[in-house]
Amino acid sequence: MLIIPDDDALLAELRARSPQAFANLFEMYADRLYRLAAGMLGDEFEAEDVVQEAFARFFVKLDGFEGRSQVGTWLYRVTYNLSVDCLRKRKATTTINPQTDDDPEDDFPVPEVFIDWRHVPEMVLSETELSEQLDQAIRNLPEKLKAVFLLREVEGLSTQACAEVLGISPANVKVRLHRARLQLREALTAYFVELGQEKQVLL
Amino acid sequence: MTKPITCEELLKYLSDYIDNELNEELTAEAQAHLATCQNCRVVLDTTQQVIFLFRQQGARRIPAERRRRLFSRLEAAFFGPRSSQVS
Repeated sequence: MLIIPDDDALLAELRARSPQAFANLFEMYADRLYRLAAGMLGDEFEAEDVVQEAFARFFVKLDGFEGRSQVGTWLYRVTYNLSVDCLRKRKATTTINPQTDDDPEDDFPVPEVFIDWRHVPEMVLSETELSEQLDQAIRNLPEKLKAVFLLREVEGLSTQACAEVLGISPANVKVRLHRARLQLREALTAYFVELGQEKQVLL
Repeated sequence: MTKPITCEELLKYLSDYIDNELNEELTAEAQAHLATCQNCRVVLDTTQQVIFLFRQQGARRIPAERRRRLFSRLEAAFFGPRSSQVS
């Protein structure tokens, strides 16, 4: 469990250029921001660049950084925005996704497969293989759903914190999270059921 | 009481149910439905499993070499051109 020290104390020490404070900042946030960027971009090199840029921007802002936004929230937000910028630049290669915020609330995937595959991943996949499948499933989510899911489920941010990072309402966070969960369930169900049947651990 | 909820309605409320954010009445309705509807039970269980699997991904760290490189670059950016800091 990550203990986050008081933002004010951290900021004060960072402004004083304390090496320990720098190391703490890195320990606290580098992995988190990297996971978000890597999840959004599906590319580790770009993720690294994004994280570096996010921290660099924080350093520039450091002296004037006010308590209005928490350090973590701010860093996540910048990382998210930089990731979105990267994705925009890649526009030529991404497919157009028709889902928008205007979609009616009940427009989400209806389950079609009702086989319980919960035991399959553990029985059939190594940790690395499983991670790859999960990464793949995330990559296939529409951008807006991806961000909410990554922040909420993988990073463990509250609904409110997600809303602040993404600049959307908490209600919107919930709707997107719901859709993301169901889409991921459908995608992974299809994968694990096929795999389970192939490996004969499912009927 | 209200009429029992349908599979469609349960699906709509699924996330709230998983997150314990449904009111008492709807929670009871959902539980009653889940007790008798195998399909919805599987959807709930597998959705929760998906969430669990992804939450485990939250423990992943930046691969070591990349982490070192990132740390060095950020260190340089933060402290400016100086000899390496004690970390």
